[in-house]
Amino acid sequence: MDELKNEVTTQDVDPEVSVPTEPQTQTGDALTQGVMHERDMKKETKKQDVMKILGKIGVYLFLSVMAFIVVFPFLWMIATSLKHLSEYYDSNLDLVLFPGGPRDFHNFAEVFTETDLGRYFINTLIVGVASTFMSLIITVLSAFALSRLKFKGQNAFFAGLLATMMIPGELFTITNYKTVADLGWTNQFGDGGWFNAFLTLTLPFLVSVFYIYLLKQNFMQIPNELYLAAKVDGTTDLKYLWKVMIPLALPTLISITILKMMGAWNTYMWPKLTTTNQDFYLITIGLREAFSSADNQQPDIPLQMAAVTLVSIPLFLVFIFLRKYIMRGVSRSGIKG
Amino acid sequence: MKVELRNLTKVFPSRDKKSGKDVTAVNNFTFEIPDGKLVGLLGPSGCGKSTTLYMISGLQQPTSGKIFFGEEDVTELAPENRGIGLVFQNYALYPHMTVQQNILFPLQNLRGKDKMTKEAMLERAYEAAKLVQIDELMDRKPSELSGGQQQRVAIARALVKMPRVLLLDEPLSNLDARLRLQTREEIRRIQKETGITTVFVTHDQEEAMSISDVIVVMKLGVVQQTGKPQEIYDNPTNLFVAKFLGTPPINVFKGRVENERLYIGENAVLDVKGVKDGNVTAAIRPEGFVLDENGPLVCELSNVEIMGRDVSIVSRHSESLNPTIRSIIDADNRIDATAEGVRFTLKPHKVFLFDAESEERLYFEV
Amino acid sequence: MDKVLTFLNTVFVQGFWKTFCVKWVWQTFCVKWVWQTFCVKWVYQTFCKDLVGKKLRFNSWKGWIYLLPAIILLLIFTVYPIFNTVMMAFTNNYDSLESIGGTSFEFGIDNFITVISSGDTFRTAILNTMLLCVVTVPLSTMLALLIAVALNSIKPLQKFFQTIFFLPYVTNSIAIGMVFAALFDVVGDFSKPYLVESWGFINTLLGKIGVQPVNWLDGIGVFGDATYWPKFAVLVIYIVWNALPFKILILLGGLQSVNKQYYEAAKIDSTPKWRVFTRITVPLLSPMIAYVVITGFIGGFKEYTSIIGIFGDSMADGQLYTMVGFIYDALPDAFYGEASAAALILFAIIFAVTMVNLYVSKKKTHY
Repeated sequence: MDELKNEVTTQDVDPEVSVPTEPQTQTGDALTQGVMHERDMKKETKKQDVMKILGKIGVYLFLSVMAFIVVFPFLWMIATSLKHLSEYYDSNLDLVLFPGGPRDFHNFAEVFTETDLGRYFINTLIVGVASTFMSLIITVLSAFALSRLKFKGQNAFFAGLLATMMIPGELFTITNYKTVADLGWTNQFGDGGWFNAFLTLTLPFLVSVFYIYLLKQNFMQIPNELYLAAKVDGTTDLKYLWKVMIPLALPTLISITILKMMGAWNTYMWPKLTTTNQDFYLITIGLREAFSSADNQQPDIPLQMAAVTLVSIPLFLVFIFLRKYIMRGVSRSGIKG
Repeated sequence: MKVELRNLTKVFPSRDKKSGKDVTAVNNFTFEIPDGKLVGLLGPSGCGKSTTLYMISGLQQPTSGKIFFGEEDVTELAPENRGIGLVFQNYALYPHMTVQQNILFPLQNLRGKDKMTKEAMLERAYEAAKLVQIDELMDRKPSELSGGQQQRVAIARALVKMPRVLLLDEPLSNLDARLRLQTREEIRRIQKETGITTVFVTHDQEEAMSISDVIVVMKLGVVQQTGKPQEIYDNPTNLFVAKFLGTPPINVFKGRVENERLYIGENAVLDVKGVKDGNVTAAIRPEGFVLDENGPLVCELSNVEIMGRDVSIVSRHSESLNPTIRSIIDADNRIDATAEGVRFTLKPHKVFLFDAESEERLYFEV
Repeated sequence: MDKVLTFLNTVFVQGFWKTFCVKWVWQTFCVKWVWQTFCVKWVYQTFCKDLVGKKLRFNSWKGWIYLLPAIILLLIFTVYPIFNTVMMAFTNNYDSLESIGGTSFEFGIDNFITVISSGDTFRTAILNTMLLCVVTVPLSTMLALLIAVALNSIKPLQKFFQTIFFLPYVTNSIAIGMVFAALFDVVGDFSKPYLVESWGFINTLLGKIGVQPVNWLDGIGVFGDATYWPKFAVLVIYIVWNALPFKILILLGGLQSVNKQYYEAAKIDSTPKWRVFTRITVPLLSPMIAYVVITGFIGGFKEYTSIIGIFGDSMADGQLYTMVGFIYDALPDAFYGEASAAALILFAIIFAVTMVNLYVSKKKTHY
């Protein structure tokens, strides 16, 4: 019986593989080898499982460490903003984020009494909301014209628009600074001063080529039949835009709104150049100016951190509640603000 | 409302700047759509049927020619002022609105003396929804509906403002086979009930034949033939129309006429009085064959398909322009499926002769 | 260098060339040809043909009406600046002429010469900018790639980590720059340890593992003897920290769109992990990596606010000048000509680097 089986196996074996010379003992060996092999595999899988778990632990460890490094500046900022000045300069407490003793928010209160940050918050809010609103209107109208209407010179115009995206913004800033000065908008004192400041801070950035492009692409995905159907139904272009296209492109519009608002919140260079009246400072420049002339003795870093925290909180709130839109907008744009 | 097209022509400027050849999508189309009828515009893709529909709707402007609704010249009128309802191939429902909002949308656009109260609009919307039997689905979004239901919503939206003319652009092509059958009956029913003049674009000849009062067959922008479905089927004016209509398709042979007799291969198969001698193309409807042991048309039998009521005989002939000949005969006839050959005589009124060059019909007396 | 510039100046600007070539080229090529072929023809074909033709269609104008607000603003704040900046950069002695209201402007490359040979400032700016790019872009890209791959390999907590890693993106770079400055800051006179009020968080931390304190920043607003490299290091850390979120987002998006079947096939062939990474992940991700690197370089060349955030307006007393910093510093003093020249140089460099990057990535990407 065994011999027969063996014969069959030897016949099955590829002729190029060396045929065993002693068929009688081969059977038993082969059997035990097979079992051995099976055991090896089990051991191997077990080993692999252990390695896998170790690998997973390693990955999580790596991510946790990196995540800690990434959030640490924020943690430290908040912790320090809650410290008293004496606690900050106590060398024993350098590494202690939250020392014992009562925590309070007196630094935050001081930010509003010691500096003009409150006023700057309001300035930024006004400029941000107004410029975002106007910018959205311009963006929507332009994207609509470029995506839905057909008119002569359209393609040439769009190509020219895209070409301007290649040029670094600094190149525009120089002439714009001059333009604004020539127009007298840098004269920000007296009666019309606030209006000059407002124009200076909003107008040059109302047209964002990139957002027009983004929205145009989004509008193009809306099937043309919807537009034709609306036309047959007697809808005007503007009504179609308002009732159909805007609701359908709402996610993109929200992304644009948030990024635009964040941009206004974070902008530094342009207002720094053009704001001549301190009363019209925006938040970022106000923050930098308020703490740039620190005294040598003991700069009030907890107070500074309280101010920084205050500036950062709105951004965090927006991020927490609208993360989806921000991340979607950013992954498609790659520009900040 | 009758719709009249007079010398309608649409030329698209060429996309390719080098060749500079303009594309004529519709060429000199003259036709009168009788009031309250359902007209099918039929043709292969690119024949200009959709362009014609879009010109009737006003979404595209004709290069030349005129369009009349009744006695009114609407050629220059904007689409919203023509009083039309249009159903698109992909339905074009507004995805962010519910069924009810979709149906209400055209009514909300009415201005001036046509302006309606909210209640009246709702009532009208429900009426339209009931007509297409979707009144239970009013609060759903289009994405929650099946294809057939979306189709009905689109029709309701087109009907709700009581259009003078209803235009349907390939309304059934996005539906599966069973639903298509059901929906086309539905469209027929709705059209009959409302009595609205309807123009219907399709590339499916069966669809067009089954529901149209009148069919217009188009090819490359030129109208080939117009008439009632049965008339066109029984009496095609050229080879294209003969080939385009009918399933299974018509069988086409190379033939010649000598002494008023039609020859296919060596045998004279039919007397054709009044046709001059020369080469012709002979087209025979599948139901035009009669089994006959002594018949003049000798074919090589390749297959017999039994379909219950009928038997379909698949055979070959050296002069056939199709790879196989398909003939349908009554199942009462007994046929030996193992035989090598099969012989037919022909029913004269199912045989059409066309000029071999111009492919125009050559008439003979039966 | 200066000699070459003087030579170029004499040949191009003062000599025969100026009067002949420049004027001739300008008049025949630019004025006649460009104007006639482009503007006149284009404007005619787009707008006037309709007027001359049969009937005027409102539709062909409607689009422009919707675009009108955008066009007006673009003309003032985008189109005009391009031409004006080029004009200012190529006008000799623009700034002093401007100030006295002069009108006879002269074509020339004086501004470029002034910028390049104006002491160390511009050279420092270029060197700093390039150094920053070369150090931060590879560093942040590699780190981002590692984190993205790690993120992609886990399921639980993936969203949580993703959110955390995106956090630095939604920050005000001036504000957080101040946080970094405070973290590294040493308050007091570094050279006299008994006078130091606070060693700062980082130095204390380093002290715990036996590293001598480093004078990172000179103290905020205090002039000290801190050398260049510690400052540079702080800047690099901040920029990398700031650049990670965007890169991780893009790379993770790329990883998630890679077809899982490639990995399954590799698994069946029992390919080792590092090999999967180098032979499958990186090549398939190469378009995203190229994108991230290019945008990283462009961002690096425009680095400015992070420096202001950490070091204040003086940019560490000019030690950490960047190109954009140079441009902005020239503006309040009305050095428009020089600022324009510097901006054009910046544009040229960014353009060249982008082209090189594109060329290299085209050769290296596997699509």
